[in-house]
Amino acid sequence: MSDSTALAAPESLVARAQALAATWRFRFRGGGTYLYLLPSLAFLALFTYYPIGFSAYLSLFRWNVLNPEKVFVGLQNYLGLWQEPLFWLVLRNNLFYALGTIPTTMALALFVAVLVNQKLGAARSLYRVALFYPTMIPMVAAAMLWVWIFNPGIGLFNYYTSFLGVPRIEWLYDRHWALPAIIIMSIWKNFGYFMLIYLAALQGIPAELHEAASLEGAGAWRRFWTITFPLLMPASLFVFVVAIISSFQVFDQVFVMTQGGPADQTNVLTFYIYQHAFRFWDIGMGATLTTIFVCLLLALILVVFRYVGRRVYYEAD
Amino acid sequence: MRRTLRAMADQARTWNRRRKLNRLATHLVLGLFSLVSVTPYLWLLSTSLKFRKEVFTPTPQWIPWPINLGNYTEVFDRAPFGTFLVNTVIVVSGILAVQLVTVTLAAYVFARRSFRGANFLFLLFLVQMMIPIHATFLPNFLTLRNLDLLNTRVAMMVPFFASGYGTFLLRQAFKQVPRDLEDAAVIDGCGGLRFLWHVLIPLARPTLVAFALISLVSHWNDYLWPLIVTDTPDVRTLTIGLGMFVQQESGADWTLLMAATAFVTAPLMGIFLVFQRKFIESFMFSGLKG
Repeated sequence: MSDSTALAAPESLVARAQALAATWRFRFRGGGTYLYLLPSLAFLALFTYYPIGFSAYLSLFRWNVLNPEKVFVGLQNYLGLWQEPLFWLVLRNNLFYALGTIPTTMALALFVAVLVNQKLGAARSLYRVALFYPTMIPMVAAAMLWVWIFNPGIGLFNYYTSFLGVPRIEWLYDRHWALPAIIIMSIWKNFGYFMLIYLAALQGIPAELHEAASLEGAGAWRRFWTITFPLLMPASLFVFVVAIISSFQVFDQVFVMTQGGPADQTNVLTFYIYQHAFRFWDIGMGATLTTIFVCLLLALILVVFRYVGRRVYYEAD
Repeated sequence: MRRTLRAMADQARTWNRRRKLNRLATHLVLGLFSLVSVTPYLWLLSTSLKFRKEVFTPTPQWIPWPINLGNYTEVFDRAPFGTFLVNTVIVVSGILAVQLVTVTLAAYVFARRSFRGANFLFLLFLVQMMIPIHATFLPNFLTLRNLDLLNTRVAMMVPFFASGYGTFLLRQAFKQVPRDLEDAAVIDGCGGLRFLWHVLIPLARPTLVAFALISLVSHWNDYLWPLIVTDTPDVRTLTIGLGMFVQQESGADWTLLMAATAFVTAPLMGIFLVFQRKFIESFMFSGLKG
C-alpha cells in the first residue's frame, strides 16, 4: 500500500529533501558568486570595456560635422594621422612631459622621503603636511594658481628666480617655456604623493639591517645604495607605473594654463582628443586618437612590467 | 687603559657632534623644501585678501593690508559657487556610496571564494586601473547621450561606479581574515552576506576608510569628465565652476580669481588639516600594501 510506504520512510524522505535542499543551496551559492560580481562587472563592461571596442569600431568611419552620416573608410583615419605633423608634435609633447616630470619627481620624492624618515620629532608631521598638501588641491585650482605665479610681469616665479640670476621669462606665453612651466607646476603638485609612497616603503625596511651594516662600518651613503635602494625597488616600480599612467593623462593643467598653446607647443594627447571630439566635432578622428591612446597606455604598462618588473624583488603576498 | 678610554670618549663625542650636525642639515633641507611647497598656497591666500590695485607691486607684498574680504562675497555674486559646492558634495558622495557596495561585494568574492574564471575576471578589474576616463571619455560621452543622461549629476558619477582599485585594495584586507573564522561563522549559520556584513566589513574598516578618503579626494578634483557631460551651471561642480569663472572673467582680476580658487580648495584643505594624520596614513598605506 502506498500509504504504508509513505509512513514507513518518513525519515529517509526528510533526509533526501534536506540533501536536495543542500545541493540547491550550494548551487545557488555558486551562482551567487557571480551575482556578487554583477554590479561591478556591469559598470566595467559599460564604461570601460565597451568604450574601447566602440572607439576601435568608430575609428574606421568618417563621422564629423561635414559628414553627419557615418561612412566606412577603413584605416584612412590612421593613415591621415600618420601624415599629420601636429599628431607627432602632440606625441613629442607627451614624451617631453613624461621625461620632464617622472625622473625629477621620483628622485625628489625618494630623497625627501629618506630625510623625513629620520628621527625628527614633532617637526616630522609638519614637514609631511607641508609637502603633501598639494595632493588635496584640485588640479584646476592649482593650475589657476600657477598661472598667477608664472605671470611674466608681477608673478612670484620670475621675481624669486631673478635672485638666482635667471633672466625674466614669459613662461606660458613663450613657445619654448610653456611646457617646462607646466612641468614645474606638475612636479610641485604630484611630488608629495610619491614621497608618501616611498615613506610607506621605507618604514617597511627593518631597522636591524641598517644597524648591522653600520656596525660593519658602512656609511650612510653606502647603506642607502646597498640596502635602502634595492629594497625600495617594488615601491619604485609602483611609483613608476602610476607616474607613467598619470603623465599620459595630463589634461587639466593644459586646459587651464595654455589651451594647448602657444602654437600647439603644449598640446597633449588627451587635449588633442578633446579638441577633435568637442571642438571640431570630428568623432571618427577622436575615436581613432582614443584607440591609439588606449593601445599606447597598455603597451607602455606591458613593457614596464616585462622589462623592469622582472628585475624587481617582490614579496609574496 | 686610561688612554683607550679617553680615545673612546673622544670618538663618542665626535660621533655625537656629527649626528647633531646631520640632524641640523636634515632640518634645514626639509625646511627649505617645505617652504617652497607652501609658498604658492600662501600666495594664493594673500592675493585673495588684497584690494585689486595692491596686486601691482614691484616686490611681492606678503601681508595683505588692509585686508579685503570683499573678493569672496563678490565671487559669490558673480557665479553660483554655493550651487557648485552642493553639486560637488552630491556627486562625490553618490560615487562613493555606490562604489562601497560594488567594491565590497566583488572584493568579498575574490578574496574568499574560488570559482571558474576568477583570475580572468580579477584581471578585468585590474586593467581598469590602467584605463582612466581620459582614455574613454569620447565613447562614454556618446553612450550617455544615447541614454539621454547628459547634463545630469548621474552622468558625472556613473563611469566611476565600479572601481578596480577599490576592489583590489579591499580584497587584500579581506584576505587577511583567517579562514577558521569563516568556517566557524558558517557553522553558526552566518554565511555569505551576513558574514560579510558582520565580520569582514568591521575588520576591514581602516581599509574602507582609506579607500573612501582617496575616492572623495580624487573625485572632488575631477575635471575633464564633468566638463564634457555638463553644460548648465545648475548641475556643475566646483572645479568646472572655477574653470568657467576664469573664462568669464578672462583672467584680468587676480584678487577675484584667487578668492574663487581659494574657495574651491577650502573644503578639502580644511578637512585635510583637521584629519591630517588619517589622510596621510590612508594615502600612504593604500598605495603599496599588497
